[in-house]
Amino acid sequence: MKRCCVVIVFIVFVVSIVIPTVWAQDVVVHPTVKKEDISRNALRAIFGMRLRKWSNGLPITVFVLRDDSPVHIEFSKTILHMFPYQLRRAWDRQVFSGTGQSPFVVNSLEEMRTKVASTPGAIGYSPREGVDDNLNVLKVR
Amino acid sequence: MIILTCSKFVKNTPFLKGVSSFFFILLVCVVSPAQGRMLPENTQVHGFVSQGFILTSKNRFFGDSENGTFRFSEFGINTSVQFTPDLQLSAQALSRQAGTGDKGEIHLDFGMLDYKWISNEKGEFGVRLGRIKNPLGFYNDTRDVAFTRPSIFLPQSIYFDRTRNLALSADGASLYSEYRTHFGNYFYELEIGYPDVNDRETVVALIGSTNGSLQHEISYITRFLFEKGGGRFRLGLSGALLNIKFKSGTSPFSEGKIRFRPMILSLQYNAERWSLTSEYALRYFKYRNVDGINDFSKKGESFYLQGTYRIVPQVEALLRYDLLFQDRNDRNGDQFASTPAFSGIPAHTRFAKDITLGLLWDITHAWMTRIEYHYVEGTAWLPVLDNMDPSSTHRYWNMLAILLSYRF
Repeated sequence: MKRCCVVIVFIVFVVSIVIPTVWAQDVVVHPTVKKEDISRNALRAIFGMRLRKWSNGLPITVFVLRDDSPVHIEFSKTILHMFPYQLRRAWDRQVFSGTGQSPFVVNSLEEMRTKVASTPGAIGYSPREGVDDNLNVLKVR
Repeated sequence: MIILTCSKFVKNTPFLKGVSSFFFILLVCVVSPAQGRMLPENTQVHGFVSQGFILTSKNRFFGDSENGTFRFSEFGINTSVQFTPDLQLSAQALSRQAGTGDKGEIHLDFGMLDYKWISNEKGEFGVRLGRIKNPLGFYNDTRDVAFTRPSIFLPQSIYFDRTRNLALSADGASLYSEYRTHFGNYFYELEIGYPDVNDRETVVALIGSTNGSLQHEISYITRFLFEKGGGRFRLGLSGALLNIKFKSGTSPFSEGKIRFRPMILSLQYNAERWSLTSEYALRYFKYRNVDGINDFSKKGESFYLQGTYRIVPQVEALLRYDLLFQDRNDRNGDQFASTPAFSGIPAHTRFAKDITLGLLWDITHAWMTRIEYHYVEGTAWLPVLDNMDPSSTHRYWNMLAILLSYRF
């Protein structure tokens, strides 16, 4: 019994260390976006589809995973500090009042990385270990 | 332009009215799978189809609801093209069937050109030209899209369907701005244009069976919004000054004026599992020389408090208390009912208190279904065209509604 408890505590401990690193995410952009960092509020405006161009005039193309994807939920909550349903509502409000468009939805992280790496001005997100040299990482201020 | 011409053509051809729903379904079927493959990069097409069922214990809401009615449906399709990040063209065609008042004709819901003069991380400033959705309260801009509403029917005290066309959109121009700070984001919009005053339900609601017609005059709509934490806390203040000219049908030289001034205060808090929303409105009406009614004014009052709880991400429950008073100085309608001119019209036509319980289920990303139950005292927001004789309406009544919606 005692040993069992020790094992459980150990597993919980290991998992709690591993999970945050597994889920630690980066905001990734196409290398044409010459920026190192961005404010959280500007990032919210970009993923909220209200800010549509970079400061050098390059159009922003936003890629997201589906609303129910665990990576999307984690990104919304930990990086944007928003809930996925708030993003969805904001997109719907704009699309159905004619004041904006909705982001491109990709089906996998693989597709996300390929699309962001091949579209000038693109922005997306990815777990840290999947980020390679084809993508720039934006630090959130 | 094409949509506008089409809608006029459909309006003038009775046969096509019935076909309009079919047309939309066909369009949805054709466009839906094509989206993303055939469309140019900066063009998007979206749409929705909703079908409702309504059953009331007494009184009629959108058709013969006492025996159950399916005469509540909404179809819409929109397209937007972003020529540059600063220039967008968008338009939406909409068909709505709702009892006697709305017969399902296709009309242009919005159609506008949007240009941003300034757009950067700090904020934006731009202009919209064309037919623009009126920015009133939290929900008016997208009130006909089931997916953007918290319930099947929006709180009727503020978003009543009686004069919906009047508040829906206007033809004109609007200036809009957003200012982003660390503390929160500020939004401001000012629209100047002509509202639609000619739909039957609006005319009946404003001048009853009076012999005459209404003409729109230049009107103003404005909204200020403050959002903190990416929309976790939202505060809004919106208002309008709607000017309408009355032309008497009996004496051709007689002209009157109706002024409608609604003001809405909106508050919302969004947590992960629950949201709390409340709006309060004062509605000022002023009539001058409308068929003998001179210098008549009244102040209506509306309020609702609404809580939603997401049991799991796909299932959301709703509880709402909604209040409407036609005349703030005569909330229970007693003064009105004792006025000889209105004899026979019951006091309960002057107010409505509605307790709503609702449940939403997102079956998939595209399909959604809802069920809701209303317990209502009063008939102030009952559609007039569905209940032409106010003396035969009932004070206490229940309503059950079911809705199925598809989007793409």
